[in-house]
Amino acid sequence: MSTDFIETLRRRMPTGSIPFSKALLGTYILVALAAPIIAPQNPYDLLQIRGWEASAAPGTMGGDGYIYWLGTDGLGRDIVSTILYGLRISLLVSIVSTAIAAVVGVTAGVVAAYFGGWVDALVMRIVDLQLSLPTILVALIAIVTLGPGIDRIILAIIIVQWATYGRVTRAVALSEIGKSYLDAVRLLRLPKKRILLRHVMPNSIAPALTLIPIELGHAIALEATLSFLGLGVPIDKPSLGSTVAAGFQYLMTGQYWISLFPGLALLGLIAAINFVGEDTRSKLDPRSRSL
Amino acid sequence: MIKDITQKPLLELKKLTISYRSRSQTRPVLRNVDLSLHRGEILGLIGESGAGKSTVGNAIIGLLAPEFVQTSGSILFEGRALEGMDEQERDALRSRRIAAIFQDHTMSLDPLMSIGAQLTEAIRAACPDLSGKQTRGRAIELLTRVGIESPSERYHSYPHQLSGGQRQRVVIAIALSGTPDIIVADEPTSALDATIQKQILQLLRELVAETGVSIILVTHDMGVISEIADTVVVMRDGNVVEHGSTATLLDHPVEPYTRDLLAAVPRLRISSGKRTDPTFAVVNNASADDEEPAKRAAILVVSGVTKAFGRTSFGWSRKPRKPALQDISLELKPGAITGIVGESGSGKSTIGRIIAGLETACEGEIVIDGTRVDVASRRQPGGMLGRVQMIFQDPAMSLNPRLPIGDTLAESVRFGSAPSTDARLAISVIMDRLGLPMTFLTRYPHQLSGGQKQRVCIARALLAKPRIIVADEPTSALDVSVQAEIVELLGQAVSQEGISMLFISHDLALVQALCSSIYIFQNGSVVDGGSPEFIFGRSTNAYTRCLIDARPERFTI
Amino acid sequence: MLSIFTRRVSQALLLLLVMSLIGFVGIHSVGNPVFNVVNIETATVEDIRNATIALGLDQPLWRQYFLFMGNVVTGDFGTSYVYHLPAFKLLLSKLPATLELAVIAMALAAPGGVLLGLWAGRHQGGAADRAILRGSVLALSIPSFWLSMMLILGGALLTGWFPSGGRGATLSFAGQDWSVLTLDGLRHVFLPALALALPNVALIARLARAGTIEVERQDFIRFCRAKGLSSKRILFRHTLPNISIPLVTIIGMQFGGMLAFAVVVETIFAWPGIGKLLIDSIQFLDRPVVMATLTFISVAFIALNAVVDLLYAVLDPRVRLST
Repeated sequence: MSTDFIETLRRRMPTGSIPFSKALLGTYILVALAAPIIAPQNPYDLLQIRGWEASAAPGTMGGDGYIYWLGTDGLGRDIVSTILYGLRISLLVSIVSTAIAAVVGVTAGVVAAYFGGWVDALVMRIVDLQLSLPTILVALIAIVTLGPGIDRIILAIIIVQWATYGRVTRAVALSEIGKSYLDAVRLLRLPKKRILLRHVMPNSIAPALTLIPIELGHAIALEATLSFLGLGVPIDKPSLGSTVAAGFQYLMTGQYWISLFPGLALLGLIAAINFVGEDTRSKLDPRSRSL
Repeated sequence: MIKDITQKPLLELKKLTISYRSRSQTRPVLRNVDLSLHRGEILGLIGESGAGKSTVGNAIIGLLAPEFVQTSGSILFEGRALEGMDEQERDALRSRRIAAIFQDHTMSLDPLMSIGAQLTEAIRAACPDLSGKQTRGRAIELLTRVGIESPSERYHSYPHQLSGGQRQRVVIAIALSGTPDIIVADEPTSALDATIQKQILQLLRELVAETGVSIILVTHDMGVISEIADTVVVMRDGNVVEHGSTATLLDHPVEPYTRDLLAAVPRLRISSGKRTDPTFAVVNNASADDEEPAKRAAILVVSGVTKAFGRTSFGWSRKPRKPALQDISLELKPGAITGIVGESGSGKSTIGRIIAGLETACEGEIVIDGTRVDVASRRQPGGMLGRVQMIFQDPAMSLNPRLPIGDTLAESVRFGSAPSTDARLAISVIMDRLGLPMTFLTRYPHQLSGGQKQRVCIARALLAKPRIIVADEPTSALDVSVQAEIVELLGQAVSQEGISMLFISHDLALVQALCSSIYIFQNGSVVDGGSPEFIFGRSTNAYTRCLIDARPERFTI
Repeated sequence: MLSIFTRRVSQALLLLLVMSLIGFVGIHSVGNPVFNVVNIETATVEDIRNATIALGLDQPLWRQYFLFMGNVVTGDFGTSYVYHLPAFKLLLSKLPATLELAVIAMALAAPGGVLLGLWAGRHQGGAADRAILRGSVLALSIPSFWLSMMLILGGALLTGWFPSGGRGATLSFAGQDWSVLTLDGLRHVFLPALALALPNVALIARLARAGTIEVERQDFIRFCRAKGLSSKRILFRHTLPNISIPLVTIIGMQFGGMLAFAVVVETIFAWPGIGKLLIDSIQFLDRPVVMATLTFISVAFIALNAVVDLLYAVLDPRVRLST
C-alpha cells in the first residue's frame, strides 16, 4: 500500500466524469438534508396527502394549483416529495450501517491478525462462512431472524458487510506484521494496545477505507432490495427502494412513473457513490484498478 | 578473451538519451550514453541504484515501459539504427538476435506451463521449420547444455518444482534457443546464493566461448564484473562515468567515483594474520583496553536449540515454512561481535529471531546475561527481556511509515529497558553520534535514503539500551558505498556502547572484517566455527572452503 | 489437495449447522404458523391445540430443532404448511426453472464479460477501456429489482417483444418441465436471464480486465516477448490460462450468486423457481419450505465452491502437484 495516503489524497487531480459524480453526490446529500424545507409535501403527514389525486401522471395539476412534476403514487403522495424523503431514509440506513460495519470489521481483522491462534481461527471461520454465501442470502437470513424495522435493517447490513472489512484488513495487517518494523516494536516490549493502535491499525486501515464508498453503494442497494421484497423499512416511511416496490403493481397497468423516477434517483445515487469510490481507489492504489 | 578491436561493433549506443514522462514532468533517466559491444564480448554495466543501468538494458531489448521515451541518440545494431527500422523489422530483430535474462527467476517463467513447453515454444518462434521431434531434441540439448540434470525428466517439470539455480538455467536455455547474437542479462545472479552464482557465471562464460554470443551484464556487484566481464561501463545518475577493459579499470580507476566504488567493496583475506584492512580498522579497537573477550564469561549462550518446521493450527499456516534448526550451540562474549554466515535457507536468520524472542524453538536452552530464557514459550516471559534488540535487513520495512522518526525513537527511550530521564537528550546524543541531523526528527521514513533509514534503525536499537544487538543482514539491501558506512557505525556502536553483537550475513568479507569469531551455518546446523584466522586460514571444512572459493578472486587478498 | 477437500467438507457441515439453526430460530420467532393452517376467526381453542400438536409445535424448541435435523439427514424437511406437499419435493419441482434461468444468464454473462474484459485490459487507457470501465460501474450500480422492472417496461409493456412474466410453454424432459426446449419458453426466459446476467457481465469484465493487466505486467510475459513469441500466442497460451484461475473462481461464485439473486428476479418476473418459493414461504411463514430452501442453497454453494477448488487444481500445477 501507499505509504503516504494523505499525500495522495491531496494530490489527486480531477479527471473526466469524476467531478460530475462528486457534484452529483454532493447534490444528493444537500437535497437529503434540506428535504423538509424544499419538499412540496410531507409524505409522512396524512393530512397533506390527497387520496383522490392518486396515480396522477407527471405534469398533472393538483387541486390547489400545485403541479405534480413527476406524478403521484398509488396513495396520492407527490413523487418528488417521496423521493426527497426516501433519500433521507436510504442515506441514513446505509451511512450508519457502513460506518459501524467498517469499525467492527477493521477491529476484528486487526485483532485476528495480531493475536493469531484460536482468535484468528474463530474470526476467520465466521468471515469465511459469511463471504462464501451471496450477500443477499446472508441479508435474507439475518432479516428473517431479526424481523422488520429500520434498526433491524441496519443490523442486517452490518452483519452482511463487516466480514468484507474483516478479511481485507486481516490480510493487510498480516503482511504488516510480517514486516520488520513490527518486530522492532515487539522487541521494545510496547504495550499491546499501543502496538495495535499506533502501529498495526494505521498501517492496515487504508484498504478498508477505500472499500467504504463501494460498500456504501452496496448498502443502499441492499436496503432497497430488502425493502422491495417487503422485508425492509415500513411502507408508511418509505425509502427509495420501497417507493419503487410500491410502484410495481402499477407498472403493469401503465403507471410507470411511480417506479421509474424513484428508481432513477436510486440509480443516480448508487452510481455517483460508485464512481467516486472507484476514483478514490484507483488514486490510492494505482495497481488495483480492478473490481 | 582477446578481441579484434578493428572489427566493427555488433551493437553501439550513440548519445542515447531516454526520458521518463509522466503527466506532470519529463525527467531524463539516461543522458548521452555511449557504448559499444563486440562479438563475443562480455560487457559489464555497473552502477548503484538509480544509475540507469537497467534502462540501458531494457532499451536494447525493446521492453521499455511506455513512460520511458527515447528522446535523442540512437541504438545501432550491426551499423543500422533501430529507430530507423519499421516496427516489424525491429521486433523480428529483437526476438531473433537479442535475447534477455531477467533477475528474478521466480517471475521469469509462466507458472502454469511446463518448462519443456516454454522452451519448445521459444525454439519454434525462433526456428519455425523444425519438426516436432527436432524441436524436442533441441530442447533437451539446450537443457543439457545449461547443466540441467536428467533433462528428459525435467522437461515435464513446472517452474515451482525447480530450485532457483535450476530455474535460472532454464531461463538461460530459453534465451539461447534462437541462437542470439546478444544476451542482455539484468542482474542474472543477484537473487542466487554465492555458490550457485559462481556456477551460473561460469556457464555464461563457457557459452560465450562456445557460441561467440555477446553479453551485456547489468549488475550492481563489482564481484560479478571482476569474475566475467571483458569490459566495464560504470554508470551514475544516468551518465557514463568511466569505461574501459575490466583489468585496467579495476586496477587503475581514473574517476574518483569508480575509485570509491571499488574501495567500498569488502575484501576477503585468506592469508591469516593481523587484520589491517583500512576500511574497517576502527572495529579492532573494540574492548582493546579491557581484558581479552575470550577470557570473560559469555553474555549469550545458546545450547542445543532445535526447531521443527513451521507450526500450523487448523490448517492455517501463519508463516512461510522455515528450515529446521538442529542442535544449534553458540556463544557470544561481552563486547564482541560474533558472525553467523550461511546461504539462504541455512537457518541463520531463524536463530537470530529465536535469540531475540521473536520466534520459538522446540527445545534447547538460551542464557542471556545469566538469565535462562524459555525458548518454547509463545508468551516469551524471558525472551523479550528487552536485553536484545535487532537491526533488520530491509530498512524500507524496518520503520513504521506513518510515524515521524522522532516518535519512533521516542518509543525506544520510553519503553526501553533502561529508564531515561531526558528522552530528548538521549536521542540527540545518539543522533549526533550516528551522524543524523536533528531535523530528521520531524521527517517520515519515506523522505530518507536507505542508508539514513538504517542509521535510524541503529539509533532505535541503541536507545533501548540492549545488552545484545542481533544484526540480520543489515547491509545487504544497501548500495555498496553505504554498506561500508553502516558497517563502520556498527563497529563503533559495539566499542562505544558496551554492547555485544551477533552479525548475521552471507558476505564472508564483511564478517571477516567485523567479527572476532564466526559460525558457519548450513541447512540448519553449525558446520564450522572459530576465529576468523582459523576459518579463513586453517579450516579444512569442505563447506567453508566451498564458500570461500565462491568469492570473486579479484576481491580476495 | 486432500486437505483442501477436508476443509470444504468441514466448512459445509459447519455452515449447514449454523444456517439451519439460524433459519429455524428465525422463522420460529416471527409468528405462529398455526394460523396458516387454521382460520383465526373460526378456530376453537381445541382446533388450535390439535394443529399445534400436528405441526409438532408443542415440543420445546431444541427438541423441534433436533427432530428437524434428524429428518434433514434423511432428506425429510417436513410438509409445507401451505402446499401440503413434502417440502423437499416441492423444492425439487421448482429447481429446474431456477437452474435453467441461471445457466442461460451465465451463458450470456461469462463469454460477454471475458471478451469485454480482455479487450479493455489489452487496450488499457484507451477509449474502449474507459467506456467499458464506466459502463461496468453503471451496470453494477443498477439495483437488480429496478432493472427487472425496467426490462419489463421496455421489453414487454411498451414494445410487446417479450412476455412480461411466467415460464411460457414447457416441454417435459427427464421427468421435469423445461422452458428452454420450446420457442415460447425461450422468449419467456430471455428478459429474466438478461436481468440476472447484466451485473455479472460487468463484474466478470472488470475482473478479466484487472487480471489481464496484472498478468501482462509480469516478468514472464515480458520474457515471452523477449523470446520472440507472437502477441496472439502470448495472449492465448500465457495470459488467458493465468487469468482463468481468478475467472473460474468468480464465475463459480457468481453462478451461486445467481441462484440467490434469483430471489429478486423470479419474484418480479413471476418465474416459478426456488427464489420465488423462498420469498413466498417467508411471507407465509412456511417454515419447512424456508428451511429446505435455505439449506439447499447453502449446500449448492459449498458444492460449487468444491467444484471451483477442483478446477483450480486442474488449472494450476502449483496446487495440483503439491502434496
